[in-house]
Amino acid sequence: MIAKYLVAASTSAGKIDFIIEVIFWVVIVFWFVLAEATFFWFLLRFRKRDGVPARYITGEKASERRWIVVVPGLVLLCDLAIMGLDGPVWYEVKQSLPAAQQTVRIVGQQWAWSFVHPGPDGRLDTADDIKTVDDLHVQVNTRYHFKLVSRDVLHSFSVPVFRLKQDAIPGRVITGWFEPTTTGTFDIQCVEICGVGHGLMPARIIIETPEQHAAWMTGRAAGRIALASAAPLAGD
Amino acid sequence: MAPMWRLPTLAAALALLLAAPAGRAADEANGRGRELWGFCQQCHGADGGGTPLYLAPSIAGLPTWYVERELRNFHEGIRGTHFDDVSGMRMRPMALWLRTDADIVAVAGYVASLPPVKPAPVLAGGSAAAGAALYAPCIACHGADGRGNEQLGAPPLTHASDWYMLTQLQHFKQGVRGSDPRDVKGALMVPMAKLLPDEQAMKNVIAYITTLEP
Repeated sequence: MIAKYLVAASTSAGKIDFIIEVIFWVVIVFWFVLAEATFFWFLLRFRKRDGVPARYITGEKASERRWIVVVPGLVLLCDLAIMGLDGPVWYEVKQSLPAAQQTVRIVGQQWAWSFVHPGPDGRLDTADDIKTVDDLHVQVNTRYHFKLVSRDVLHSFSVPVFRLKQDAIPGRVITGWFEPTTTGTFDIQCVEICGVGHGLMPARIIIETPEQHAAWMTGRAAGRIALASAAPLAGD
Repeated sequence: MAPMWRLPTLAAALALLLAAPAGRAADEANGRGRELWGFCQQCHGADGGGTPLYLAPSIAGLPTWYVERELRNFHEGIRGTHFDDVSGMRMRPMALWLRTDADIVAVAGYVASLPPVKPAPVLAGGSAAAGAALYAPCIACHGADGRGNEQLGAPPLTHASDWYMLTQLQHFKQGVRGSDPRDVKGALMVPMAKLLPDEQAMKNVIAYITTLEP
């Protein structure tokens, strides 16, 4: 249902959508509607009538106790059922860390997202790393680990099409993972208030085919070589 | 009729109104600029004197042409899009917040109308005496008095924050600033910054610049 309105572009997105939909149907559609219907039925049933005095209900009769024992009990059962469903999803998305095929570093700061991609050698923290601001380039159907850091204050890295949201905390390196399943360009947001420019730090994730990704990498490497060869002319 | 004791008070109030700061006329003529400045001052300070904590330099009184140029550079991603330009990345979204060129012109005009503020020194360990000689190559563009030169695109330095000058010299030297092919004026500073062999030399020349009187 959610994917009709917001593309699901990672292996986790469908599972998270399923949990959101279960919560929606159980909490909103069933319990909320039932509670409101009961409330209005009580308003109607026990409205003021001529000759009927108001009375204080002590809740000692079994018929009255049902309302405060059975109904919360059913709510609790629903909570446990939802927890039973979302536990495995939470474990898979947030607590497990399947082996990575690529690793990227994501840096939050006031007020921009910047990224370190592995270069052609496929390894991070080597000389051929590709650093970008605003644009994260990834390859479709490839499992990524991300190393999330903050240069200053709390941020939260969010990719809505992945249904991914992870806080960035100064002084900590937080590792997570995602696996894109659809090519395209999608939004990256900060979803933790981080200062006056919080609303002005959008970035993009560009999910590419292997060929597109290789072409991008080659183009970046060519740019770096051109800049490096120009540097001595500038005064060194 | 107002009591006699109120007349001196009224006269004093009138005198205060008439003696308003020189910037006031520009202020009123540039309502849009003042409105936009409300956003800038959150980091640059109400007087435009800068706030080192926010990496926001002193900008009050900078000439319109320079503020406009840099705002456009930020807007077009010529500046503030390098991975190591931490302060530039803070400024870029602020420039993007200015939706039209008219807004850039208005806020630049307002910044220029603010009385210049000499920021308190932050850096320690610089020698103005040693920096005087190092400043010699800077004279060609920024002038012996540090007042800048519009024709050469060199901004005035007399009210620049010392920590900001150090950061920018390092950025020019490392290619963080001035390496974008579209940054024609910034590229001029790259070889100049490379003339300064180390951070101490940069601190020395900055110590000298801070002695220049506007």
